[in-house]
Amino acid sequence: MHTTQPLVSLEGICKSFGPVKANNNISLNFYPGRIKALLGENGAGKSTLMSMLAGSLQPDAGTIRVLGTPVRFTSPRHAHNAGIGMVYQHFKLVDSMTVAENVMLGQEDGFLLHPAKMYASIATLARTYGIEIDPAARVEDLSMGERQRVEILKLLRRESSVLIFDEPTAVLTPKETEQLFYAFQRMAALEKSIVFISHKLQEVMEIADEIAILRRGEVVEEFDRESVPDKTTLASRMIGRSMNTEMHRPALAPGEEVVVVENLEVKGLQPLSFSLRKSEVLAIAGVAGNGQKELVEVLAGLCAPRQGNVRLLGKSWKEFFPTPPKVNGLAYIPEDRQGMATCPDLSLVDNLLLTSREIFTEGMLLQRSAGLAATLQIISQYDVRPGNPQASGRSLSGGNLQKLVIGRELLRQPAVIIAENPTQGLDIAATEDVWARLLEARQHAGILLVTGDVNEALQLADRIAVMYRGKFVDCFPVTDAVKVAQIGSMMAGVAYR
Amino acid sequence: MTFALFLKVLFSAIEQGTPLLYATLGAIITERSGVLNLGVEGMMIVAAFAGFFGLHLTGNPWLGLLAAGIAAAFMGSLHGVVCLVFQGNQVVSGLALTILGLGLADFLGAPYIGTVTKGFNPIALPWLSSLPVLGPVLFTHDVLVYISFLLAPAAWFVLTRTRWGLALCATGENPQAVAAAGLSPLAWRWVGIVVGGFLIGCGGGYLSLASSHEWTHSISAGRGWIAIALVIFSFWRPGRAVLGAYLFCGVSAFQLRLQSAGVLQIPTWLLDMFPYLLTLLVLLLSSARGKGRAAPKALGVNLEPGA
Repeated sequence: MHTTQPLVSLEGICKSFGPVKANNNISLNFYPGRIKALLGENGAGKSTLMSMLAGSLQPDAGTIRVLGTPVRFTSPRHAHNAGIGMVYQHFKLVDSMTVAENVMLGQEDGFLLHPAKMYASIATLARTYGIEIDPAARVEDLSMGERQRVEILKLLRRESSVLIFDEPTAVLTPKETEQLFYAFQRMAALEKSIVFISHKLQEVMEIADEIAILRRGEVVEEFDRESVPDKTTLASRMIGRSMNTEMHRPALAPGEEVVVVENLEVKGLQPLSFSLRKSEVLAIAGVAGNGQKELVEVLAGLCAPRQGNVRLLGKSWKEFFPTPPKVNGLAYIPEDRQGMATCPDLSLVDNLLLTSREIFTEGMLLQRSAGLAATLQIISQYDVRPGNPQASGRSLSGGNLQKLVIGRELLRQPAVIIAENPTQGLDIAATEDVWARLLEARQHAGILLVTGDVNEALQLADRIAVMYRGKFVDCFPVTDAVKVAQIGSMMAGVAYR
Repeated sequence: MTFALFLKVLFSAIEQGTPLLYATLGAIITERSGVLNLGVEGMMIVAAFAGFFGLHLTGNPWLGLLAAGIAAAFMGSLHGVVCLVFQGNQVVSGLALTILGLGLADFLGAPYIGTVTKGFNPIALPWLSSLPVLGPVLFTHDVLVYISFLLAPAAWFVLTRTRWGLALCATGENPQAVAAAGLSPLAWRWVGIVVGGFLIGCGGGYLSLASSHEWTHSISAGRGWIAIALVIFSFWRPGRAVLGAYLFCGVSAFQLRLQSAGVLQIPTWLLDMFPYLLTLLVLLLSSARGKGRAAPKALGVNLEPGA
């Protein structure tokens, strides 16, 4: 398919974090003048793979070749020198300095800096690649899109030949996205190899020459864009449908309505209505960034509804949240385990008490010994490792931390559980464990499962609602085989009927 | 106020302001690299002793100055070991450095109190000192004053117009950006500490080599703290450091003249407060930060291990 030699190739790259195989035997080639998209759900291992290519992580096994020669990158600097550069989602810029100073940092023309000459040379560089920027502007005055251009210029100035972008359009306006893609094409025309990570099907179809799909740490498919007829096909290829095990899911008769949402409107959300019954799992499936976060923030009490009604356990939002019930109330399992669900520097006991302190108080006093006993019980019941209740939250792997969080949230026998991507980044064993716990919790709770992983939705849910651009495309029982087959195209926002 | 009085005040402002200027420039360089330095007072007094002792041993004031600079750079390196190697708290380490320095200098210097030396003496620069009006005010000082005239522009030039300055200042703003550019933020912080420390030492050395020619107790007399305030006053910019140092010492000298003239019926201790009140006022005003006035963003923030 290619006659030229790849600029960089990956052969059999493996990387594990503890028991989690983030990348498993990945081989990819990057050719000059080509734009390659790495497509996959969150946690599929895209970022890990690119971090190894950019030198900030080292593979456990496998070879990276630059122009056929095997290399080992032990720091980003090595990768730089080999002509590989990465634009991270979080820019690494000096805000108080000018564009030119940021680009020149570490790669100045000489010992002395002449502002006028610097501006001129950066302007020339930018023009070559069709990048619009004022070299004399301070970075703090720039939009996110312009800051990204500064990062690109840094790489171009270094004459990087492989440029990696981690979800480059996440922070851009549509106009800026257009300009970025124009720059992509200019760079490709000048024989650079562009790699970008994305989970947006539309933009992948628009700009990529080649597409590689990652799922659960493996490249499941790699093909040219021309070979894909449309977004729908791409969506079904991205989502896949291979699961080793089927969860045992005994049917439970749904109970009373625990959550009722009527015409809810907040920023980023179209009027939304649905209800959740006790003993029921409603999965909200969708590609991240389609309004799931906004919805969850309202239901978890972080953000007030602007319009419409939200009733939780029979009470309105305003009645419920100032004094949520201590037990049989609402439990929230956030996606961000290390930031929102736990405090990394507190012990496991303190992390347990963070949300469950109400049931461990007597008068004004906190019953730490009871908290410790409960922590120990969760540790043994859920097999949390390391099993030291005084260990800091930071010392636990994602899966173990998640087990602790779930154990903690279930302590209060909640009647409503909101779980956001509860198995993201977990290995298969931990994933199945979490799923089993959630299914068990149906005894006393209605569960709202927000997930980007269709398999997860199919494994757990009684009903699936697919979310796209702030509204439900459809909501159907999981037994509706016709609709289930169309989830991919619903997620991609393709008209499907 | 007569013009003659103004010139006299200006003359003292330059003379008294020079050690402050050295120390402030040094602290600016250290802090631009992102290392908060509250140890200036301790570094200055140890440097003052080292300068005195070096001169006492060798009889050569230049060797004394070198000893002063090295002593303060060494003190700074202790701060560096705590903050850069062991990721210690920069505030605590800086304060400890001051306490250590004050104790150390007084302990080591105790046997020499009252010892007289021959340090730097005023040299009237030929031709320049005979310029009308400002000639005698600017050009009848000792050689360290003349060096300090060149130092502030030099510091400005290095910080803003050279590769080194760019890397140093970027380290104080965003060490991750520096690492991403393939440079070592750790190395640049060490540069900031050692070079800045050397200059702070020159300021301390000035006290025992030029300001006075004898060793006394508590010779730094709080000037290190003033220097720290001046760093903030100057928004971490060398040019404004000149203004700050001379302004502070000018007000000091002015109130002393008022006291001695006995013109005003104001208690002397109120007048003594004057320069410090001014410092407070300036700090209050400058805390209304605008663009280009902010502290280096990563000031006081330790580097991530391995960065």
